Amino acid sequence: MIIAIIYVIISFLLDGIISNIIPFNLVDPSFFKTIYSVISLVIIYNYFDNKKKYLSILIILGILFDIIYTNTFILNIIVFITIYIILSNLDYVIPNNIITINIKSIICISLYHILTYIILLLANYNSYSIKLLFIILLRSLIMTIIYTTISYLIMNKIYDNKKVK
Amino acid sequence: MKKRNIKTKHILIMIIILIIIILAIFSFTLKEDRQLNKFESLIKDTVTSIQKVVSYPFNWIFNKIDDYKELTDIREKYQELLPEVDRIDSLMTENIELRKQLETMKEELDIDYTINGYDFLNATVISRNVSYWYNTITIDKGSYNGVEVDMVVVNSDGLIGKVVSTTTFTSDVKLLTTSDTNNKISVAISNGNKKLYGLIKDYNYKSNYLEVEGISNTESVSVGDHVYTSGLGGVFPSGILIGKVSEITTDEYDLAKIINVELVADFNNINYVAILKRKELDKK
Repeated sequence: MIIAIIYVIISFLLDGIISNIIPFNLVDPSFFKTIYSVISLVIIYNYFDNKKKYLSILIILGILFDIIYTNTFILNIIVFITIYIILSNLDYVIPNNIITINIKSIICISLYHILTYIILLLANYNSYSIKLLFIILLRSLIMTIIYTTISYLIMNKIYDNKKVK
Repeated sequence: MKKRNIKTKHILIMIIILIIIILAIFSFTLKEDRQLNKFESLIKDTVTSIQKVVSYPFNWIFNKIDDYKELTDIREKYQELLPEVDRIDSLMTENIELRKQLETMKEELDIDYTINGYDFLNATVISRNVSYWYNTITIDKGSYNGVEVDMVVVNSDGLIGKVVSTTTFTSDVKLLTTSDTNNKISVAISNGNKKLYGLIKDYNYKSNYLEVEGISNTESVSVGDHVYTSGLGGVFPSGILIGKVSEITTDEYDLAKIINVELVADFNNINYVAILKRKELDKK
C-alpha cells in the first residue's frame, strides 16, 4: 500500500512539474501532456483488496487536485469517483494485462477530459469547441500509453519482488 | 411491480436534483473565482513548497538549455544593439525630463492609474494549466508578499493577466487568454496622436488572437497599431502593452469594427512574471 501511495504522490507532483516545463496551450496542445494522477489511479486499482482504502486515496487526490491545480470545489472529486465507478465495472469485464491496462488508462483519461469539458460547459465557464476536446484526447494518447506501460512494468516488478521475499 | 416503478422514478428524480445542485455549485464557484479557506491555503502552501523543491533540478536543466540557446544568438543581438548604445545617454536624459513632465501633469490632472504609480514584485511560475481548460498559472508570491486579488500581472513583453486568488505564499493568476466572458478589459489603440477605446470581447484560441469590439466603423485603425490597457475600469493601469492589430473586420451590421489583436507575450513560455503593486498601498 505504501508503494502505491508513493507512486500516486510522484504522479501528482509530475502533473505540476510537466505542466511547468513543457510549453503548451490551447492553440497547440502538447503530445507530452496527460493527467498522470488519473493514470496512477488506474495502475494502483488492482493492488488494493480493500476498496475503501482505495476510495479514500482517490478522494484525497481529488481534493488536492481541486485545491492545488484547478482551484475548483469538489469538481475533481466527482470526476475521480466517476472514474472509480467505471474502473470497478471494467474490472469485471476486462482481465488485467499490459494491453488492457493501457485501454483502461485511455478510457479513464478520455473520461476525465470529457467530464470536465461537459461540466465547465454546462456551468458556462468556457466555450471551447468539441473539435479541441477531440484534439486534446488524441494528443494525450501517446504519453498515456508510455506512462501506463512504464508504470505497470515497474509496479509489477516491485510487487513481484515483494511476493518472492 | 408498481412499487418498483415508483421507487425507480424517485431515484431518477433524486439523481436529476443532485446533478442540478452540483451544477449550480460549480457555476457559482467557477464564476466567483473561489477564495481558499485557511485549511485549503495551508495545504496549497505546503504542497507547492514540496513541488518547488522537487521541480528545482528540472527547471535548472531547462533554464540552462534556454541560456545556451540564447548564447548562440548573442553575437547577432549585439550587432543589432550596437547603434542603439550610442543613443542611450540622450534617451536617458529625455526619459528623466519626460518623467518630470508626466509627474507634474499627473498631479495637475489628479490621475493615479498610470503604470508609474506601481512597484514591480517579481515572481516565478510554479505550475500552470494542468487540465487545459482553466487557463491559470500559480506563482510563488502570496499575501505574505503583499499580493492581493485583482492585482495585475505582466512579464517583459506585456500584460499576462490578473490575480484571482491568493494563499500565504502562492497566488493564482487568470491569464488573458481565457475565453471567460466575464473577464472584459478596456483597451486603447494608438493610431498616431489619436487614441481609440474598445473592449476585449473574447480570446480566439484557434488563431491565438484577442477580439476587440466597441470601435466605430468610421474611426481609422491600421494593421500594426499598438493595443494597450486604457486604465478605464479601475483594475488594469493604463499603458500596459497587450499586442498589435493584425486584422480588421466589421460586425454583422457594418456599424462597428472587430479588431483581431496579436498578443505580444508568449503564453506558451511564461516562467517569470511581475506583479504590479500600487505604491500607495506600501505606504499604508
